[in-house]
Amino acid sequence: MSDDVLLSARGLRRTFGTFRAVDGVDLDVRRGSIHSVIGPNGAGKTTLFRLLTGILRPSAGTLHFGGESIGGQPVHVIARRGLVQAFQATNIFPRLSVRDSLRAALISRHGRTRDLLSWSQRSLDTEASTLLETVGLTPLAEEEAQRLSHGDQRALEVALALAMRPRLLLLDEPTAGMSPFESRKMVQLVQRLAQEEQLTVILSEHDMETVFGISDRVSVMHQGQVIADGPAPEVRANSDVMAIYLGSDA
Amino acid sequence: MTMYGPSGVDVGDPSEGSVDPAETPARPPGRTELVPRLLGPIALVVVMAALGFLLSDNVLLTLQEVLALAVFATATNLLLGQAGLVSFGQAVFYGLGAYTVALGWLHWQLPFWATFVMAPLLGALVAVPIGLVALRARRLYFALSTLAFSELAYQLAESRYDFTKGANGVFGAFVPTALTYPRTGYLFVLAVTVASLLLLWKVNHSPFGLVLRAIRENRGRMQALGVNVYLHQLLAFVISGAFCALAGAMFVVYSQSSYPELLDWTTSGGPVFMAVIGGMGTFLGPAVGAFIYQFGHDELVRYVSDWQLVLGVVMLVIVMFWPDGLLGGLGRLARLLRKRRGDR
Amino acid sequence: MDLASLVTPLVGALSAASSLFIVAAGLTLVFGALRLINLAHGSFYMYGAFLATTLAAWSAHTGLWIALAASPLLAAGMGVVVEVGVLRRLYAREHLTQLLATFALLLIFADLALRFWGKGVRGVSPPRVVRGNLELAGAPVPLYDLVIIGAAVVVGGGLWLLLSRTTLGWKIRAVVDDPEVLAASGVNVRLLYTGVFALGALLAGLSGVIIAPQQAVEPGMDAQIIVAAFIVAVIGGLGSITGAAVGALIIGIVETMGASWAPSWASTFIYLLMILVLAVRPWGLLGTPER
Repeated sequence: MSDDVLLSARGLRRTFGTFRAVDGVDLDVRRGSIHSVIGPNGAGKTTLFRLLTGILRPSAGTLHFGGESIGGQPVHVIARRGLVQAFQATNIFPRLSVRDSLRAALISRHGRTRDLLSWSQRSLDTEASTLLETVGLTPLAEEEAQRLSHGDQRALEVALALAMRPRLLLLDEPTAGMSPFESRKMVQLVQRLAQEEQLTVILSEHDMETVFGISDRVSVMHQGQVIADGPAPEVRANSDVMAIYLGSDA
Repeated sequence: MTMYGPSGVDVGDPSEGSVDPAETPARPPGRTELVPRLLGPIALVVVMAALGFLLSDNVLLTLQEVLALAVFATATNLLLGQAGLVSFGQAVFYGLGAYTVALGWLHWQLPFWATFVMAPLLGALVAVPIGLVALRARRLYFALSTLAFSELAYQLAESRYDFTKGANGVFGAFVPTALTYPRTGYLFVLAVTVASLLLLWKVNHSPFGLVLRAIRENRGRMQALGVNVYLHQLLAFVISGAFCALAGAMFVVYSQSSYPELLDWTTSGGPVFMAVIGGMGTFLGPAVGAFIYQFGHDELVRYVSDWQLVLGVVMLVIVMFWPDGLLGGLGRLARLLRKRRGDR
Repeated sequence: MDLASLVTPLVGALSAASSLFIVAAGLTLVFGALRLINLAHGSFYMYGAFLATTLAAWSAHTGLWIALAASPLLAAGMGVVVEVGVLRRLYAREHLTQLLATFALLLIFADLALRFWGKGVRGVSPPRVVRGNLELAGAPVPLYDLVIIGAAVVVGGGLWLLLSRTTLGWKIRAVVDDPEVLAASGVNVRLLYTGVFALGALLAGLSGVIIAPQQAVEPGMDAQIIVAAFIVAVIGGLGSITGAAVGALIIGIVETMGASWAPSWASTFIYLLMILVLAVRPWGLLGTPER
């Protein structure tokens, strides 16, 4: 695996009974890039993501992250290695404030969960404030998480993922259910993360404008397999890809 | 007064919606901010100490009981309001603390000071096996498991006559004479209460406290973040057990006796009620609830024989219409007023 | 060991199991349909028993027979009032709130009972026709034990028929999974909830009057019975009537055998069993794991 490639999958397969949700997927995601995975509903994108994060174990195939094999590892181990997903359905701490949610994640990451004695946690608080700034939630820092708008909750999800200091961030349909305004904010955030934080991002999306607007590379999935893969402009011009999308609801 | 958000504990169903945002401090108080915030509590302590010289003996005795219950309720709320663990079994530790003092004197002539210190230690120790087993059950089943432990403890205390003197309970001079005087007893209990509440407050405000609340809000998420939820809940259970046992030992100063009913599930229900009345989402809520509950009980019993009825009705009304409890409701009112003032 | 010496303890165990079953059946039914733990279940039971003593005192011959109908009806009435007045408002709230509300009701009912019936212990004898012993396989067996066993069979059979063979029973079983879907298909879910809760209360009241001749009727029996009912329901599986039967059998046998060999250890063992079940298999022997 070249230095350039952060995440590499070969022959990744996941079956449920006789159903092959992911059927022999090869994937190379380059460091610092934005890599989109697209495909009609049921193509296997969500299953693929679950394989990458460790929620599901692969039935076959290999998975390497940063040079190390992660196939079959549990979720929190993979997360600590730096492969983190921001959830699609919001999976937040409803009654904690935005700031407290981040602090909880940071405390966990720093391994200080059993700390009964600390009084002030300056370094942690600075980090929390930085994260808030990055995702643009500083004005809402003291708001209860469950009261945020959907778009802001997704931003909080991203912040929680960032609290894990990921090397690679997975975003499963980050603009789903958002207004155009919120979607734009999210897209700008993703770009900022890739450019300013040098974060590698894999995202699955249905919105083609978003996908071809910001992605470096695109992989197209169909029925569990990758049918096209390459730089965004190339894939866009690929007529097979268009046929898939015209033939089904995207 | 610090708040952790509206009260309400998720026992398996989506949490009830609240109306106002939580008011949490922007960050832990820096040293310069601490002084004005400490003024209130310090004044309160001074006033309460002074009351020791002003109130009648009867009231001081009642207050001894109330303070013990305040610690009991606050320690229980570490599980209830903070960790989201509904326990109907904290009386196991309460009774254990009381019996430690009583039986330590009865069987081994141990001095009060020794048994008083032993009580929380034993509470913590016993909390480990109970917690290990009970915490394997989730939510409602955890509550039922703790209830079973409570009944088990009660049954054991009642039946092992040789050791515990059974249903008769243990009576004796295990409290040093100095503490049997209402004023000194009160001041002693007050001192222990203040110390206990300070420590429990510290736990709430530590990283561990926040982790407990985060686990309460989203157990799965914390697990995904690599946190051993079971272990942390066990730690909370042990801390709570220790302080509940201490409360039991404090109770003995007032009652100078120990008996099996201190262990049963209806005794366990007491601190839960107190926390709900006063406000599970606030730190001092349970203590306030203890005051209301016990003073209410003691006063009612004198004038009205139907204290259970009144208590039950009050309970019901609060549970149905005022779920944040007294302090929780007051807190919301305060925020509402502050917002209005801000709008002007 | 000959058959005769086995018969009396066996019948005793079955009788104990039957009592437990009738009490626990209502509790587990309500949980099964409403996902509600009703701590005041014991109150309905107590009121059923106390009413029986009042009616028996009023009319020595027919009192108890009237109570057989009156107590369940009283309990069912109380159940309706409780469900409509209190519990209905709390379904959207957390389990703790519901638990505390039923605890408050327990206190309220206990106090009112003190007003109506005082602090003393009461008792009632079984109707003359079922008094005394019967000889079964050479051993003396209290006739009333057989009555209780018969009652349990009737209750169990009736519930089984209701739940598995009637439309109402189907609705009751369906409502816990998806009440909104059921409501959308025209079922009056609110009425259903009230009905099931009333039925649970009715069963508690019935058990009160049936068991009254066999035990002391006194304040505190509400809190006592609720723990026993819980143990049975939990071990058998909350929500499962068959589970309640199985749990009742287990506990009944342990209790009866334990009473002769090692009385205090029997209770300890029972509590430990409940704790074990909750730790290892909280949905009990015959319950279904919650999503």
